[in-house]
This record gives sequence, structure tokens and C-alpha cells, in this order.
Amino acid sequence: MKETVLMMIGAALVNNVILARFLGLCSFMGVTTRIDTAAGMGLATTFVITVSSMADWAVQRYLLDAYGLGFLRTVTFILVIASAVQFTEMTIKKVSPTLFQMLGIYLPLITTNCAVLGVALLLVEGRMSLIGATLFAFASSLGYSLVMVIFAGLRERLALAQVPRLFAGPPIGFIVASLLAMAFMGFSGISTN
Amino acid sequence: MSPDLHTVEGIARVVGVDPDGGAWLVPEQTTSCGHCASADVCGSKGIGTVASRLEARRFHIDGGQALHIGDRVVIGIGNRALFKGALTAYALPLLVCFAVGGVAQWAAQDDLLTMASMAAGLAGGLVVARLAARRLTRGGELAPRFLRFAAPNESCPPQQVMQ
Repeated sequence: MKETVLMMIGAALVNNVILARFLGLCSFMGVTTRIDTAAGMGLATTFVITVSSMADWAVQRYLLDAYGLGFLRTVTFILVIASAVQFTEMTIKKVSPTLFQMLGIYLPLITTNCAVLGVALLLVEGRMSLIGATLFAFASSLGYSLVMVIFAGLRERLALAQVPRLFAGPPIGFIVASLLAMAFMGFSGISTN
Repeated sequence: MSPDLHTVEGIARVVGVDPDGGAWLVPEQTTSCGHCASADVCGSKGIGTVASRLEARRFHIDGGQALHIGDRVVIGIGNRALFKGALTAYALPLLVCFAVGGVAQWAAQDDLLTMASMAAGLAGGLVVARLAARRLTRGGELAPRFLRFAAPNESCPPQQVMQ
């Protein structure tokens, strides 16, 4: 149990997908202008990462490993992720057309989010059990969502601040992101204690 | 409801008007749509690619304002609606999936059985999400609302401008 909790903290904070592994930077800069949209994107990504990681784990264990097809891993995982996104989109549309109107816009963007593929490849390398792999994927995506929301909050504040014209827009966004990454480096001390 | 209470605003075009005053709208594409790296996957550039996507995003707003076909309007979604909707659609099914998977793993210690249980849990969670979404929709919490008519040259509501 203790190992599982530590693994989840490590995946969410110490080895944060965005700030330590530098994955998913597209959505990190693009969908973080407001907290609610960042949270919506974060939850959608969490859902897709968790579901596609379960499927990727099964494909790796029962297909790629079993038949010695490891060299097809990346292509297969991309296919699984695209299918998971499509499945999610169809399901949300069926579950609630209104929710699909509100949230459907994020789903196609997730297909090209490298964090989804990155997490799938990481959990396969870790040789985890199904529950371990799923919890790792879930914790990684929670870390992703957390950083998205924090950064969106900072950007909302920045929108009200008087930023020099030269730094306005993306430049100050990148500076804040680098400071946030440095702050998250502080969590790396947890793993050695 | 005043516009500043809305978190998400968008411009839409009226494509149909009901006799009771309600209207059918489609979201208007912004100039960047169809030009980003995800354009081929997204399909939101609409006509000529996956045109059905825009058609699929047709939505209805209740009556109360005199709208005509072709009008460009700014619509908004309530303050917490997006977050509530995301929690309902994504977090609820995942929670049920984890709960069922955890019980199966604890009881059987078998990956294959756990996977089947988690898949069943996910399906059950989606049913729960459907019921929850229906309740939210019935309460009007997820309904987009008419805010104002868009100015002729307006293409992006102020809240969506990148800072």
C-alpha cells in the first residue's frame, strides 16, 4: 500500500508529466487562459489517459509481448489512443448531448497530446500489474490536471497585472512556467526521504 | 444574467427558429480553426472535411429574444457549468471503474478478471453519469444562454483572447 501511494505521489508531483517530463506542452500553453477550461481539459485528459492506459496495458501483455511484436508498440499505442478518444467522444455524446456540446471540443485535441502516449510508454517500461499501471496513469494525469489548473490561475492573475509590452503574452507565460517547474523540482526531495 | 458571470462565451450563428421563439444555433468557427497542428484530426474546419461535426454541434436555446436565421449572437454557459459537466462526464465513470476494479483485484488477484471488472465498472459509471447529466440538464444548469448580438466585426469574445 505504501509503495502504491509513493508511486502515485512520484507520478503526480516528482515526475510531473508537464514540468518534469515536458510532455503535453501544447495544451499547457493553449488551454490555460481560464481555470474552468483548464480543469475541463484536465479531466478529459485524465479520463482518456486512464482508459487508454488500461487498453495499452492489455495490448502489450496479451498481444505484443505474447507474439513478440514489441517493435509495433508505438504504432499500436497511437491506434489505441485514437480509438479511446473516439470511444470517449461517442460515449459522451450518447451520455449527454449537452455535455458533448460543452466538452466535445477538447477531445480531438487529446489525440495529439503527447502526454497520453508518453504515459502509456512509461507504464509499459515499468512492468506493472494492471492495477499498478492504471493507478500510475491516473496519478500522472492528475498531476497534469493539477499543473494545468495552477498555471491557469497564474495566467488569470497575469491578465490583470501590468506586464511590460515586450514580455506580454506567451513570453511571460513561459517565464511563469519555468518558475513553476523550478517550484515543482522541490518535490524531488520527497523521493529520497 | 450578466455576461461577466459566464466563464465560457462563444459566437454562434442562428440556423433555425422554432415557432415558440426558441432557436437552433451552430458555433462559429474562429479564424484559427482548421489551421492548427490538430486540424486533420479535429475536423472542426467543417465543410469539405468532416462537415458533420459542425452539424453535430447544433444546439438549442430557449425563447425569449427575437432571433432570426443568420443572426450572429454571443452565447454563454453558466459559471460552474463546465466544471460540473466535466466532473459528471469524466470523474464519475472513473470513480466507479476504480471502485469495481479495486474490489475485483482484492477478491480475485487476477489481472484478466480485474480488467473485465474495470470495463464493466466503466460502463456502469457511464450509466450513472448519464443519469446525473440528465438531472443537471433538467435543472437547466448546462443550458447555454443568449447574452447579446455579436458586433459585425466581432470574431472572438474578450474572455477567450490569449493573454
